[in-house]
Amino acid sequence: MFGLPLAFAAPAVLAALIGLVGLYFLLRVTPPAPRRAIFPPLRLLIGLDPNETTPARTPWPILALRLAIGALIILAMAEPLWNSLAALSGSGPLLILVDDGFAAAPTWDKRIDFARERAAAAARAGRIVAIATPSQGGQEIAPLDRSGVEGRLRALAPVPYAPDRAAAAPAIERFLAREPKTDVLWIADGVELGGAGAFSARLASIAHSVEVVTDSSGALALAGADNEAGALTARLTRSDAHAPGTGAVRALDAQGREIGRTTFDFGAKLAAQARFDLPVELRNEVTRVVIDGERSAGATWLIDERSRRRRVAIASGASADVAQPLLAPSYYLKRALQPFADISEWHDSSTDPIVSLIEQKPSVLVLADMSVAPGPELDAITEFLDSGGVLLRFAGTHLAAGDDTLTPTALRRGGRLLGGALSWETPKHIAPFEAGSPFFGLAAPDEVTVRRQVLAEPETGLAEKTWARLADGTPLVTAERRGKGLIVLFHVTADTTWSNLPLSGLFVDMLKRIVAEADAPGEGAAKAKVGEHGVVRPPLRTLNGFGVLGPPPAQAEPIGDDFSGAGDALHPPGFYGTPDSSRAVNALALGATLARANYGPLAVHEGALAIAPPIDLRRWLLPAALIGLMIDALVSIWLMGGAPFRRKGALAAFAIVGALGLAAIPHQARAGDSAPVSDRDMDAALSTRLAYVVTGDASVDETSKLGLEALTRVLAARTSAELAEPVGLNPARDELAFYPLIYWPIVAGLPQPKPEARTRIAAFMKNGGTMIFDTRDALVARPGGPPTAEALWLRTFLKGVDVPELEPVPRDHVLTKTFYLLDRIVGRTAIGQTWIEALPPPDPNDHVRRPARAGDSVSPIIIASDDLAGAWAEDAGGRPLYPLIPGGARQRELAMRSGINLVMYTLTGNYKADQVHAKDILERLTR
Amino acid sequence: MTLPPSIRRDASTLSARLPSLVIAARRVAQTVRHGVHGRRRAGSGETFWQFRPFISGEPSSRVDWRRSAREERAFVREREWEAAHTVWIWFDRSPSMQFASSLAPVSKVDRAALLALAFADLCVRGGERAGLLGLTRPLAAQGVVERFAEAIATDERLRGPSQDPLPPAAPAAPRSMVLLIGDFLSEPERIASAVRAISAQGAIGELVMVADPIEEAYPFEGNTEFLHPAGSLSLLTPRAQSLRDAYLARLAAHREAIREICARSGWGMTIHRTDGSPAEVLLALRMRLSAPEPGTGLRSA
Repeated sequence: MFGLPLAFAAPAVLAALIGLVGLYFLLRVTPPAPRRAIFPPLRLLIGLDPNETTPARTPWPILALRLAIGALIILAMAEPLWNSLAALSGSGPLLILVDDGFAAAPTWDKRIDFARERAAAAARAGRIVAIATPSQGGQEIAPLDRSGVEGRLRALAPVPYAPDRAAAAPAIERFLAREPKTDVLWIADGVELGGAGAFSARLASIAHSVEVVTDSSGALALAGADNEAGALTARLTRSDAHAPGTGAVRALDAQGREIGRTTFDFGAKLAAQARFDLPVELRNEVTRVVIDGERSAGATWLIDERSRRRRVAIASGASADVAQPLLAPSYYLKRALQPFADISEWHDSSTDPIVSLIEQKPSVLVLADMSVAPGPELDAITEFLDSGGVLLRFAGTHLAAGDDTLTPTALRRGGRLLGGALSWETPKHIAPFEAGSPFFGLAAPDEVTVRRQVLAEPETGLAEKTWARLADGTPLVTAERRGKGLIVLFHVTADTTWSNLPLSGLFVDMLKRIVAEADAPGEGAAKAKVGEHGVVRPPLRTLNGFGVLGPPPAQAEPIGDDFSGAGDALHPPGFYGTPDSSRAVNALALGATLARANYGPLAVHEGALAIAPPIDLRRWLLPAALIGLMIDALVSIWLMGGAPFRRKGALAAFAIVGALGLAAIPHQARAGDSAPVSDRDMDAALSTRLAYVVTGDASVDETSKLGLEALTRVLAARTSAELAEPVGLNPARDELAFYPLIYWPIVAGLPQPKPEARTRIAAFMKNGGTMIFDTRDALVARPGGPPTAEALWLRTFLKGVDVPELEPVPRDHVLTKTFYLLDRIVGRTAIGQTWIEALPPPDPNDHVRRPARAGDSVSPIIIASDDLAGAWAEDAGGRPLYPLIPGGARQRELAMRSGINLVMYTLTGNYKADQVHAKDILERLTR
Repeated sequence: MTLPPSIRRDASTLSARLPSLVIAARRVAQTVRHGVHGRRRAGSGETFWQFRPFISGEPSSRVDWRRSAREERAFVREREWEAAHTVWIWFDRSPSMQFASSLAPVSKVDRAALLALAFADLCVRGGERAGLLGLTRPLAAQGVVERFAEAIATDERLRGPSQDPLPPAAPAAPRSMVLLIGDFLSEPERIASAVRAISAQGAIGELVMVADPIEEAYPFEGNTEFLHPAGSLSLLTPRAQSLRDAYLARLAAHREAIREICARSGWGMTIHRTDGSPAEVLLALRMRLSAPEPGTGLRSA
């Protein structure tokens, strides 16, 4: 409207804008409500003649504001749309022609949106709307109402082929004949496929007006994938240089997994290639090649097993003459097989050719004029056939003379010579291939002549075994299933001595089909399906327009062997046949190119699809009107003298807005709050180690350090507990959580540690750590006597700590069993009592004598009195620092063992207690 | 047109506010009394003042024989000078007085009541009797303020808020003094007749016009609807500011007319704005009471 991309869904409402004039006069003479003031000397005012006689008028800003509000509301009621496409001229019916070939699929949503917008715009304008697609060209075109348009557009989907536009022309012609004033909108895919040029010329001649809208980006498609000798090469084509020039191509296997990925670059050309450098085994797994990010059936190339590369082994009976390669049959075979198979030849003269070739596990073994003697060769070939191999034999002098069973049919000795000097028969041509033959569908060129052949003995079933015949009916190629394998015999040689077949393209095609027979079992069993067009293959899985494989549509028909070329409506692209042996039909013919459509006389709007969707301006206009109303209300209140209210209201509004704004400020991350981890804690966390409490008494601390170091060494030597260097701790300051065991020798004369130390120790014990307090007073303490100074000191310290009930270590406590079997804990002295958390009383119902008992967890506290560290401590030379009481190497050993048991106890918990039951448990399990 | 709720509430609670007004009145009166002393001198009165020796030529009837009998000389009994026997006070309690604008600290009626009670207190302490015109007889008791307040409250309770903007037209006794406090925005003729009626027997007095500041400032602009506090009148002015000059002129004329009326009866007139100090106007009233100048205010008989 007015050159702007603005349209109104209900333009009639705009007529109400005239009412704004009336509103103007009305508002002009209706001033805002007066502010009211109580005024006692009112009597004095009455009768006063105002100096100014101007009647009260609404102030012009308020007038303008109110008129704007009115205009906004009227505009909003008219449902304005920005970016609308309603600029479409014309008033007659609108026929929207939506190209639905696969080339339209990548931009399908855009196309449908565009069609929907246009249809909606036309429907708003009261025009008849009809929608047609080339793929449904046979259907009559009927006008649709608004919901019908929506339903139709929803139901549309791109087809996976390029529909023939000419087929759609008659229905369009009939519609145009009924509605001669129709404007045609053709949302075209910009690709010539399906006869766009001819169709546009025809449309131009019959239609009143045609507008062609295309996407600016051209189409991109795959036009083949060749499984070549070294790589899988995908052929890409694009319709014009605007199409994406670079991208990625993906190779997928049958399950849709990505096998390979490679990039392509068109440069300035319209064709490109993408090579997948993959091993042949992986390449053979590829069933689909897709252009990444291109949702289109044309951007998907299906690969069936015909293009699977197979290993073909060639063995020739002729002596290899390198100087004259043209005389060797293997030369022709190699040339013919090279494009689609990997060839292995026998080179190593030291081994048997057939056996060594079969060891390479080929799919096809080609024996060119070679007879097979019984022996390892025959055994190898028989095994090869049984495992599903294809044996391809060529006749020749050796075969004609020889006698073996590896032929599909019995052969007459000697050959048949045609067209020779002594024969009146001329060289024979090849008869057209019959349906049912794997060669069906191949053309039998006239120039191929056969001069000599080996003849098959007439026998029953020969006709079924015959794949190709000469014009006189004699078999040229016979085949027979042998086990899971297949024997195929060419009744001519693989070189040009008997026929010129190896020189023809037919030879290549025939070999290709034969090779494809490999790994395709069940072919023989499917004979029943052989019809007029050869083996009938029903659709298995077909592509939709977006290039997604799915169940075939109802109208899809089977293909025969002679089907070739691109998919169409009846034969949509996809896989046909059985899952074991399927044929691929693709959206594009092999090697086809995407040509840019030439719409001739029609007006083309290129890139017009790439528009933003229309914006419904109501969502802006109505709030704007609302805000205007609010402003008007505030102004009116102010004019009425609501100043105090306004001030408070404004304050409240500011407060609310401010609060919301504050609430919206994201909370700052508080990463910096936690204290940095010290290196010491980092080390402690990374490796397990013993720890002792630094008491402040230098000699005691030194003893603790040396003792624990010695214990750590012994632990590493005797057990798998390889601990790091012991560390001294200040419990009031250091983090204790990293240590499984903390040794605390009690020194009575020292002051009590800080309360923080007590708190930390309590937490450490609660969290599963074990404290070993060593009072070192075994010599002075007497059972039943007064507590020693160290015991008193410890009692004072533990006053605020939650200490569990303690008992002297019982003989069956797990502490005495964790590594060594001990009677008691021994240190420098061997008479002290060691206290540990009291175990739960033994189960009175459990009469089995348990060798060890343990609680549910490790005791958080062990109070020793035998000066453990003093017994462990060694100097740098490994000599004990302190004498033992009563002394002796045995006691030192026992002290060390006590230490090991203590450490093991804290590290393994009640595991040992369970272990001593292992025998019982195992017995119970086996019972 | 109904009154705005604030005015209704104020009117209904004038009696409720009286206790605080009483206290305020006492305080104001106290402030003023510090500066003024009573007229301690002989004059015509009824209270004994002193005996003085008879001066020859005086009428012999003045001789106080009882006193003279005790001595050789004749004495004359003098009574204390009593300048006015009675001070009649009246203040306007009509809706017009209930008004207090945003510029004023108190309503006009509060200020009027304050002035009336404080002046009554001053008068009683100065030896005069004070009465509320139309409500009480003249009182000379110390608790005159409380008595007045009680009378006003009773009147309000019995007869509702007073609607009358002018004092009752009862002539005051000769030589009595009259203090009329109000806004006096009625027609000058009615005011003149009221003043004439009161001063018919020769009572002298003072008229205090209490005015709200907004009445002099006239800060109105634009489209304004003026309402009378009594609700009887309203005026819609599209451009209120255009009336300003005419209004101020008319207000001045009105006041001049009132002043003229007072002058004709020998009364004084004072204009008091509610944002002004009540003590100030009270002091002025008291000064005029003690040092009257003929024609300008209270004067002695």
